Amino acid sequence: MDFSLTSAQTAFRNEVRAFLNDKLPDDVRDVTKAKGHLNKEQYKRWHGILAEKGWSTPLWPVEHGGTGWSPVEYAIFDEECHAMGAPRVLPFSVSMLGPVLINFGNDEQKKRFLPGIQDGSDWWCQGFSEPGAGSDLASLKTTAIRDGDEYVVNGQKTWTTLGQHADWIFCLVRTDPNAAKPQTGISFILVHMDTPGIEIRPIITLDGGHEVNEVWFTDVRVPADQLVGQENMGWNYAKFLLQNERIGIAGVGISKNELAGLKRLASAEKKNGKPLIEDASFKTKIAEIEIELRAMDITNKRMLIEAERGMDPGPVSSMLKIRGSEVAQRIYELKMEASGLYALPFQPHAGDAGWNDELIGSLTNAKSAPIYLNTRKISIFGGSNEIQRSIISKMVLGF
Amino acid sequence: MNFDFSEEQKMLVQSLERTLAKTYTFEDYREQLEANATHAPELWASLAELGIMAMPLPESAGGFDGNHVDIMAVCTELGRRLVPEPYVSNVVLAAYIFEATGNDDKLADIAMGETKYAAGFYEPGERHNVLALNTTATANGDTYKITGHKAVVLGADTADHLIVSADAGGASLFLIPADADGVTLRKYPLLDGRGAADIILDGATGVLLGNAGEAADIIEAAADRAAAALCADTIGAIEEVKELTQEYLRTRTQFGRPIGSFQVLAHRMVDLLVEYEQMKSIAMEAAVEARNEDAAVRAQAISAAKAKIGAASRLFGQESIQMHGGIGMTDEYSLGAYVKRMMVNETLFGDTDYHLHRFANS
Repeated sequence: MDFSLTSAQTAFRNEVRAFLNDKLPDDVRDVTKAKGHLNKEQYKRWHGILAEKGWSTPLWPVEHGGTGWSPVEYAIFDEECHAMGAPRVLPFSVSMLGPVLINFGNDEQKKRFLPGIQDGSDWWCQGFSEPGAGSDLASLKTTAIRDGDEYVVNGQKTWTTLGQHADWIFCLVRTDPNAAKPQTGISFILVHMDTPGIEIRPIITLDGGHEVNEVWFTDVRVPADQLVGQENMGWNYAKFLLQNERIGIAGVGISKNELAGLKRLASAEKKNGKPLIEDASFKTKIAEIEIELRAMDITNKRMLIEAERGMDPGPVSSMLKIRGSEVAQRIYELKMEASGLYALPFQPHAGDAGWNDELIGSLTNAKSAPIYLNTRKISIFGGSNEIQRSIISKMVLGF
Repeated sequence: MNFDFSEEQKMLVQSLERTLAKTYTFEDYREQLEANATHAPELWASLAELGIMAMPLPESAGGFDGNHVDIMAVCTELGRRLVPEPYVSNVVLAAYIFEATGNDDKLADIAMGETKYAAGFYEPGERHNVLALNTTATANGDTYKITGHKAVVLGADTADHLIVSADAGGASLFLIPADADGVTLRKYPLLDGRGAADIILDGATGVLLGNAGEAADIIEAAADRAAAALCADTIGAIEEVKELTQEYLRTRTQFGRPIGSFQVLAHRMVDLLVEYEQMKSIAMEAAVEARNEDAAVRAQAISAAKAKIGAASRLFGQESIQMHGGIGMTDEYSLGAYVKRMMVNETLFGDTDYHLHRFANS
C-alpha cells in the first residue's frame, strides 16, 4: 500500500501542467474559471487543441487514438485541467458514442465518424430520453420504420444537452413495436441534425440557462447505413454506453477545484466581522465535505484500478456516480450558503464571454445559486441516483 | 500508487484468520464474556506465537520492522473476530512509547507477549483531550510520586505495568507497576467485552520515560497510531455487519418475499455499501500516514479517518439493527456484538466530534 505518485506520474503531472500553461487560450480559461458558459467556438477550439496533442480521446483503445493512460494518470489529467481552468471535453461524442462505434460500429462507420469525434469537428448530441421515458428508458416511443434504404423516424426526444450546437444526434429508436419485451425492439441510429423534419426547441432550466432542448422528428428519413450494430440490439449498446463511463464519473477533479473555491469564498466572506471560514459551524461543514471528498478521491482511484482487473464495472460506476454527485452537490450548496444574501441577485450570465453588466455581489456570489440549481441535475442525468441504487442492489442482493 | 496489501501481509492475514477460526469463534467470545474475562492467556500466547506482536517492532527487538499497514491488516482481523485481547495497548501504544523514549530494551518482552502494558492519557472531566494533565508528578530522587486519575484506560485491567501521562513541568510519561503502592485500579469490561480500568494514583512511585516536560508530541503520535489501529478494527467489524445484513435481506421473507426486494431496504443497504467503500479508503490512508514524520500531515489523515469512520460506523450500526428488525435486538445474535465493538472504537482515542474539529482547525 503506497499513496504516493511514482516518478513517472509526477513527470506526467508536470507535462500536463506545461501543456496547459502553453496551450490553454486565455479567453477559454477566463470563462471556465468564472464558471460562465463557453460558446460553441470556444468548445471546438479547445477540443482541437487537445486533439493536436493526441489527448482528446484519452480513454479510447490505443489503436483508435487513445493515450493508454491508467486511471491514476487520467485522474491527474482531470485534476490539472480543473485546477488550471481548462474545460473538459463534452462527453457525448468522446465518452459515449465513440466507444459504442469502436465496439459495435462497422469499419465504414468507424472511418466515417471517429475522426470527426476525435478532432471535434463534428458536434454530437444524445437522443435517449423522451417525455414519457426517463428512468424507464426502455419505454421510449420514437419509432424508426424501415422503408427501402432508409428509416423513417417519428417522435420526440428531450433533455438534449447543447443540441442547439449539434451537427449530429445519436438516438435510441423503436424499430420493432411488436417485440416481446420493450428492450428488444430498440435500435441505435445516427441522424444528421440538418435532415428535413427535425425541429429543436430550447428548454430553459432553473438557473436561467439554455443547456437542454427538445428535439422533434417528423418523417425524418435516415439512410440505413447510419444504423449502428444490429437492428433491435440498441438496448445492449445503450447499456454498454451508460456503464462504460466509469472513469471520471465521480467528478473528483472538479470537486477538488470547487472545494478550493469554497474555501477561498469562505475566507472572503465575513461573519461578525471575521472571515466566515473561522466560524465554528461553517468550518465544520467544510471539514465534513472535505473529508468525504478525501475518501472519495481514494475510493475513486482504488475502484478504477480494481475495475481494470476485471471487477464488474456496473456497481463501480454506479457507486462512484452516487457518492461523487452527492459530494459535488454539497459543495455547491455550501458555496451558495457562504454567499449569504448575495446569492440572491439573479445574474445568470455573469462571467460569459461578452457579458458586461455590473455585478451586484462578487462574481462567485452571482454564480453560486445558478450553479447550485444547475447541478441538481447531476444526481438525475445518466440514470438517476435511485436507478443507480437499484442497479447495485440487483447485483449484490439479487433484487 | 497502490491500494493492496503486500503478499506478506496477505499471508499474515490468512494465518491469523485460520488461527482465529479455530481458536476464537463467536461461541468462544460469548463464553468469555459470560465468564467476565477480558483476556484469555492461551489466546494471547497463540497470537504471540503467530508473530503478530513482533511483526511491527524493530528488528533489534526481535521484530520484523513492520509498518502501520501491517498493523491495519492485523487489527482488521481482530475486529472481524471480536478479539478482546489488548493488542493495541501493547503493540501500538506501549511499543511506540518505549521506542520514542529510548526504552527499546522493553520491546522484546512485548514481541513475545510476556509483559503486558496499558497507556492512560485521558482524564475524567477532560473528555477527549489527550493532553489532559491534572495528574501531577513530583521528583523524589530517581523516581517520581504521581497523583491523579486516568479515565477508561484500554487494557489497564490486565496490564502488569501502566504508562501514564502527568505534569512534571509539562507533559511527561511515567511507568508504574500495576501492583505498586498508591495505585488503585477500578477494573471493568467495556461494552464489547474488551477490558479497561480507571487508574487512580495517590503518590504512586513511577519511573520517567524520556524527558520531563517533553512528551506532548509523543503522546499525540501514540494516540494517533492507536486511532488508526481502531479504524482498521472497525473495518473488520463492519465487513461482518455488511455480510450479515446483506444475507438477512436476501433470506428473511415477509409478505411472501425476501425483505431485500423492497426498494426501501435495498436502497438503504446500497447507501451502507457506499459508506463502507469510503470508510475503507480513509482507513487505508490513516494506516499509510500513521507514522508520517510530519505531525501535521499525520494528524490530518488520522482525524479525517477517525471522524469519517466514527460517523459512518454509527450509521452502519443503527441501520443494520433497524433492517434486521427484532432479531437485531437480541444479544445472542452476533450483529449486536459488532455494533458494540464499533461503538467502543468510535469513542476511544478521540470521538467523531473531536477529530472533526481537529481536522477543521488543521
